[in-house]
Amino acid sequence: MQVNFFDPLNVAIPVKRVYTRLGYAQGKTKLGPDQKDKIDRFIEEAKGLLNLKGAAGLLTIEEIEARQILLSEKVCFRSKALAELLKGCPQVLLMAATSGDKIIQAIQQDSRGENIMRAVVFDAVASETTDAGLDWITNYFNSQLSRKNMRLTQRRFSAGYGDFSLENQETIHKILELDKIGVSLTFEYLLIPEKTVTAVCGVKDQ
Amino acid sequence: MDKIKKLLKKKVIILDGATGTQLQKLGMPQGACPEIWCLEYPEIISKIHKEYLDVGSDVIYTCSFGANRIKLSQHGEKNIKKVNRDLGLIAKEAAQGKLVAADIGPTGKFVEPYGELKFDEAVDIFGEQVQGLLSAGVDIFVIETMMDIQEARAALIAVKELTDKFTMVTMTYEKDQRTLGGTDPVTALITLQSLGADAVGCNCSMGPQAMVKLIKTMKPYSYVPLVAKPNAGMPKLKAGETFFDMKAGEFSSFGKKFVEAGANILGGCCGTSPEHIKALKKKVSNLKPILPLRKSISALSSARKSIILDKSPNLTIVGESINPTGKKALASQLRQGKTSLVRQLAITQKQQGANLLDVNVGTTGIDEKNTLKEIIKVLSVTNDLPLVIDSSDTAAIEQALRIYPGRALINSISAEKKKTDKLLPLAAKYGAMFIILPLSESGIPKTFKARKEIIQHIFKNAEKFGFSKDDIIVDGLTLSVASHPQCSPETLKVISWCSKSFKVNSIIGLSNISFGMPNRSLINAAFLALAKSRGLSLVIANPQDEKKAGREAAKCRRVKKDKEIIKFLEKFSKIPAPTKKESLKSVPADKKVYRAVLEGNKEDIKGFIEEALSTGFSPDKLVHDIMVPAINKVGDLFDKKEYFLPQLIASAEAMKIAFERLEPLLEKGQLDRGKKTVIILATVKGDIHDIGKNIVALMLKNHGFTVIDLGKDVSSSKIIKEIKKHKTVLVGLSALMTTTMVNMKEVIGLAKEEGLDCRFVVGGAVVTKSYAHSLGAQYAADGVEAVRIAKSLSR
Repeated sequence: MQVNFFDPLNVAIPVKRVYTRLGYAQGKTKLGPDQKDKIDRFIEEAKGLLNLKGAAGLLTIEEIEARQILLSEKVCFRSKALAELLKGCPQVLLMAATSGDKIIQAIQQDSRGENIMRAVVFDAVASETTDAGLDWITNYFNSQLSRKNMRLTQRRFSAGYGDFSLENQETIHKILELDKIGVSLTFEYLLIPEKTVTAVCGVKDQ
Repeated sequence: MDKIKKLLKKKVIILDGATGTQLQKLGMPQGACPEIWCLEYPEIISKIHKEYLDVGSDVIYTCSFGANRIKLSQHGEKNIKKVNRDLGLIAKEAAQGKLVAADIGPTGKFVEPYGELKFDEAVDIFGEQVQGLLSAGVDIFVIETMMDIQEARAALIAVKELTDKFTMVTMTYEKDQRTLGGTDPVTALITLQSLGADAVGCNCSMGPQAMVKLIKTMKPYSYVPLVAKPNAGMPKLKAGETFFDMKAGEFSSFGKKFVEAGANILGGCCGTSPEHIKALKKKVSNLKPILPLRKSISALSSARKSIILDKSPNLTIVGESINPTGKKALASQLRQGKTSLVRQLAITQKQQGANLLDVNVGTTGIDEKNTLKEIIKVLSVTNDLPLVIDSSDTAAIEQALRIYPGRALINSISAEKKKTDKLLPLAAKYGAMFIILPLSESGIPKTFKARKEIIQHIFKNAEKFGFSKDDIIVDGLTLSVASHPQCSPETLKVISWCSKSFKVNSIIGLSNISFGMPNRSLINAAFLALAKSRGLSLVIANPQDEKKAGREAAKCRRVKKDKEIIKFLEKFSKIPAPTKKESLKSVPADKKVYRAVLEGNKEDIKGFIEEALSTGFSPDKLVHDIMVPAINKVGDLFDKKEYFLPQLIASAEAMKIAFERLEPLLEKGQLDRGKKTVIILATVKGDIHDIGKNIVALMLKNHGFTVIDLGKDVSSSKIIKEIKKHKTVLVGLSALMTTTMVNMKEVIGLAKEEGLDCRFVVGGAVVTKSYAHSLGAQYAADGVEAVRIAKSLSR
């Protein structure tokens, strides 16, 4: 399998999504210009701390059973829900995006009490931008696949949700060689840096 | 080139439609490489070419979209030039005299600084394709489906370095009307048309309805024809399959809208067929195209942002701080190849209002050529303001222009022959704007007349390379009023002449005026106000100076004669430094404290507390009657969503600062009853997320609780140990993952086994009310609720 590395992952900070994540309610929340300036400055500072990277690759689906999907590279995922999603797909896309370590360190330092407001803004920026990184990878592959009359499934699955257990992170980490983009895995199957997300989706014919 | 230009004046040019889907209909298997397959079955691709020509396409694309070294090597093909040549010959043979566009698509890789592919390697890769296609005798080139502006630039440069054939560039835009790389259509247009694209536009990723809007957006700024090649609508999902459902009739109905929006060249992309093209041709054949509305534009761009300079009523500010002159720390970092300070300066200047960033890395002990390139690359990724390349090293400028993913401004080109001879062709090749610096081999001219002659001389030379007045900015040439007091009126005359007679943009390096003077900031502001009143367009300055200049504007209107100008500036050097702003005297101190908590003003609250104490307010009154009601009000506003999380925290942080100042002064026993209550907080074992817990800790402390924060990834046994140690009644547990929240059950279970009488409050992104109740615990959705529950449980 060929792993595509995206370093850097060129994604703009989704500012509206950051505000929504922080609880901003359009038409309800009253935010003065000075406070807005401050938050926007923190968002801009977060931009300088993000080191967004990604990795993705396509695997061929060799067999799908009710609760199990056998892929090339001897990969086996056990999940009924995932098997449902991938029904009829010839391939599967594995992907990952990470915010990098620098922003995590900044969040941890600030949240120890020095500047919790900045920490929460940084945290929201890191979370939303990493998710936007997965959206970016999806759009990238869709543009590549559309020429072959194929497209990704709209839904995607992440390890740790539903019956797609967290242990599958180990397989994804290995197959996508995530250590090359600075991502490691703990014994509890947590990805480090903590703002790292992985996902699986199917490739369908158009 | 002439043939297509003649056609463009007369009619809307029709391109072809999708090739991939047509090939599959005619038997190309899923997963096959179209380029290689077409060489095995040339009659099939020839048939498709002819079908499009028969229904009215004026131009067909060669089937060479993926015929580059990177894509073909995946299929074991190495003879790139031959593949391209053969595909070009098939199209030429089918075209029978009609126009053939050599199709160049993306490599799938991202080009530095946005990816691992080196820029010159990308140019080489595309150049290989171009050579093969040229040898087939293609008529024009099309660079299409580009999602990365830097890759598009590499391809365009590759074409232009080998041929002057008409070249179109179309980018592909996502739903947010930006490319995957974040470039909007106007920015792409500014970059590509200045770099030499003969037509610019968009293809793929969207249907005609959305694409019309993009064309409309681009038209006012375009001096080249516009191209649109939309998909047959958006892909739809039916019975688990995706398909394009826009039929030919509906697709073609957008033809008129495209022409009215300003498109000059139309075709179809994914999902379209000869029927779509036939219908489209029919709809637009009698429509008159709107030719480009302008011949040039004064505009600059980065990869993600553009700035239009013509007719702008506002002064454009060029941040000057990225310059190691007089900045030891910056110079040292540049020598060591570090970039953190450069990045920080970019962020700060943008926050202060800079529209462009001047980049100068010239200092002793530095390889200016390579350092400038690296800094340009770093800034292109981390900052979106367009850049001004400030160097006297022509090799450094050349490398910077080549790698810069936008339309740059060169600072500057003087009348020195060796500079003009080298820099004008470079600026022309890379489509850069440039600043004319009115100095020559004879030195710095002191008078307006001498400067004007040099400016006109440089511009006359520039016109030979195709530059217009829109492509230049004239530097008024600012000299220090300390050493050259007579020159400042001459600079103002240059600016005035540029604005009223020569009709070009003007610029000054503001800080030069005050070099060697006291009160530099005031002098800068005063001179800037004078220059603005004369019509100055851009200024290289500290962005803060522009704000100060606004305050001096009214005085400048009366300053007209040369002697008056000199006196006006000298007056500012004698003004004493302004004192700090006075606080709002009319507002009572206790109200200031209340507002500071309410508004989260942690910067000023300590000062307000001191003021309140000095005017006789007791610490107890401040805490109980002012601050606690304020923070409670914040909680109410948060509940109503009139405040959101950052505001809640800002208020809590302001309260914390105030409380730290007042706590030692409070009388014993006068604290809120909650002060006596200890609460232990922890993120459970296996979980490393603690920001929510830290917010709760802050809120609880503000409300007088003593918080024992055990941190994150805390074992159940440790939590139990601490409960016993502090004899705590209240415990707060946090978890962010479904796999770790089960440890909450373990903690609560252990506490029961040990017979500990304590109350648990739980929270975290995955924790729910029902889960909390199943554990016999209270649920807190946020810090405000946590405080409320803690207070009620501690009564």
